[in-house]
Amino acid sequence: MLEKYKLDQDSQWIGILLQRYTLLLLGVCMKYLKNEEAAKDAVQQVFLKAIIALPKTNVEFLKSWLYSIARNHCLMQLRDKTKWVTISTEADIQDNSFFEPFDTNKEQTILILEKALLDLNPPQETCVKLFYLEKKSYQEIVAATGFSLLQVKSYIQNGKRNLKTLVIQKLQQL
Amino acid sequence: MSDLKNILSNSNIIDEQLFQKYLAGTASAEERFFVENQMAEDDIVNEAIEGLQNFKDPQLAQTYVAQLNSQLQKQIGKRKKRQFNKLIKEQSWTIIAIIVVLTISAIAYFTIQLLHHSPR
Repeated sequence: MLEKYKLDQDSQWIGILLQRYTLLLLGVCMKYLKNEEAAKDAVQQVFLKAIIALPKTNVEFLKSWLYSIARNHCLMQLRDKTKWVTISTEADIQDNSFFEPFDTNKEQTILILEKALLDLNPPQETCVKLFYLEKKSYQEIVAATGFSLLQVKSYIQNGKRNLKTLVIQKLQQL
Repeated sequence: MSDLKNILSNSNIIDEQLFQKYLAGTASAEERFFVENQMAEDDIVNEAIEGLQNFKDPQLAQTYVAQLNSQLQKQIGKRKKRQFNKLIKEQSWTIIAIIVVLTISAIAYFTIQLLHHSPR
């Protein structure tokens, strides 16, 4: 869609593209601002900024780029209120969706992954197994393990990240 | 084996309807796993879902999304109009020149035709 815009400069493409992220941006703004109306206004501002900046910017990953604008906008608003929130200019959040350095279909990768699972710390191993192998929901894992929802999310996210690192390391050693 | 692949896989699809179903608690087990898997692999999606869960009424988020999309279309429409006006303004002399040349050509054509067919 961005390529199409670059070709014919028709801003209609930007509109179609941005609409795909409305709900996501609303959620992110709500997470920071904790106010429904303020979140809605913030998304509107993000769109305005994006419409102006997109034609002049070479954006590779639109989701991360929009997220940075939304987060900075919300933090600016919060800073205006509290005067002490630090604002970063770059998103330090990791967008993992573009990261897949190995062939997940390779049997060797799967075998390494099976072994790497055992190298995780026990809470991470339990949560990853319950989530990915037994397909339990977050709530079901909370009930089964006694961990809080935040802990479960964190164990799954960190467990997954650690597993990827372990698999890459072991693949490189081969 | 196939379940293990889920740990390494990445999905970059943002399915608003699916998110809405998840938030409303009407998603199937498979859909719920898909959303939660995205949350686990993508911090942005995770933050967004957590934010959306703060809406007292999930329906309100949907209403806001519709309103925001409609406002976005209006903004885009205004921008297109401005771009068109800017183009007209920038190219006004070119447009005037084309109109003048065409008018002169038409007058010349009709004058020649008139002279050609007039009795001597």
